[in-house]
Amino acid sequence: MTLQQQIRSNRFRSGIVVLGFVLLLLVLAGLVGLALDYSLGAVALGIAIVYGLFALLRSRSIVARMTGAQELGEADLKPLHRLVENVSIGAGLPVTPELRIVDDAAPNAFAAGLRPKSSYIGVTTGLLKTMPKRELEAVLAHEVSHIRNRDTYLMTMAVVFAGVIALIADIGFRALAYGGRSRKAGALVAILAIVGFILAPYAALLLRTSLSRRREFLADAGSAEILNDPEAMALALRRLELDPTTVHYSDASTAHLWVESPTDRVDSERRGVLALSGLFNTHPPLPDRIEALEEAGGFRLSEGLPAGQPFAAELGLV
Amino acid sequence: MLWLWIVLAAVALLGIVLALGYNRLVRLRNEAATGWANIDVQLQRRADLIPNLVEAVRGYAAHERAVFDEVTKARAALQHASAPGAAAEANEGLTAALGRLFAVAEAYPELQASENFLQLQEDLTDTEDKISAARRYYNSTVMHLNTAIQSVPWLLIAKPFGFRAKEFFSAQGDTAPPQVSFSRAT
Repeated sequence: MTLQQQIRSNRFRSGIVVLGFVLLLLVLAGLVGLALDYSLGAVALGIAIVYGLFALLRSRSIVARMTGAQELGEADLKPLHRLVENVSIGAGLPVTPELRIVDDAAPNAFAAGLRPKSSYIGVTTGLLKTMPKRELEAVLAHEVSHIRNRDTYLMTMAVVFAGVIALIADIGFRALAYGGRSRKAGALVAILAIVGFILAPYAALLLRTSLSRRREFLADAGSAEILNDPEAMALALRRLELDPTTVHYSDASTAHLWVESPTDRVDSERRGVLALSGLFNTHPPLPDRIEALEEAGGFRLSEGLPAGQPFAAELGLV
Repeated sequence: MLWLWIVLAAVALLGIVLALGYNRLVRLRNEAATGWANIDVQLQRRADLIPNLVEAVRGYAAHERAVFDEVTKARAALQHASAPGAAAEANEGLTAALGRLFAVAEAYPELQASENFLQLQEDLTDTEDKISAARRYYNSTVMHLNTAIQSVPWLLIAKPFGFRAKEFFSAQGDTAPPQVSFSRAT
């Protein structure tokens, strides 16, 4: 697939996602209406739309707040800015994304923003202190591909809708549970509604995570293509795999943004069997991603990592 | 009458395929043009840095005239080259000339310590990195365009509509960049 085809297919997918979520939303609102009261259904739908629009429009700053990403001045960390510039040029992006720093010891990075022009890349200080230049460049290229492929757009949509659906389901569920039986609801409709309210958020989450996992493979491939160096990305992933720390600021709702899933380790304990199947993970397992790169690039990573000076030394941060 | 409908449907289908193919080629050609513009910007930036650099070195090593001439000539050659292949060639030439300039500069510790010179050197390195990034992007767009133009069925419409294969940005002797395919990832 060429780049433009990828972007178009992503736009198409975004359309499908939006359509799927709108349908789910209508069904849910209909259930609320059927089981309880039509006006309540309409109110819930209204709240959901307002909430969704607000979240979409504010997503840029919401993400920044949730991740604790700090803005940087032009003059700060110049070598890092240059690295981002070079990667963006290599990707053919018309505008270099802004750069933000998350003060966190865990090495990780993310991309956010609805459009390429308003997007930014966040990197943790831990990433700068762990990765040598070559691997840092690969991680930046991974994030730039997310922006270039419009993944950030698609995933923001998916997250917002998933949130909206959880909200409606919650309203409906509470209204049913605490509001007593309404006059209209038959037992069957009520049971149906309850099942719907319980299952809908999971359906939304499933849709969201399955989209997210595919995107990660694509962004890894994008990074390899931008730098013409699949090994660099594989090495970066291996380094992330060996690193035991996870991002402090992480939250399930921003998990899909990061280069390495910040929540997996916690989730696998919390969710038990479900997490084992991998269905609710936002990221494919790191060994799978490394293997895909090895296969595509025709190389094998050797045991252990090449020793390299972390980029932070070049920035004068250590 | 059935055969008439079949013929009409076939013609309509052919028309649609032609239109889609044409659009695809236009898109690929535009991408390659953007890619070339990106390289051009950086080459221009590199050429713009040269006079200042030469002045900075001249301040400390005025008698090294041969090297200055060589660099200035290489710069002019780069500015006059318009085709990608020739520009890449000229760019390599400039790199070689600059290598000699920096070798000369080695002998002047005061120059090496000069803030201005260090800044220029850093900017130059940055521009070179950007040229190679832009080159990777441009060459991959050219690869896509050329492959499309040379393969069936687009081959059939590329010629009549004036789509031509583009040159890679690479000096003679360079090979086209290796392409990584991701069968599994897509």
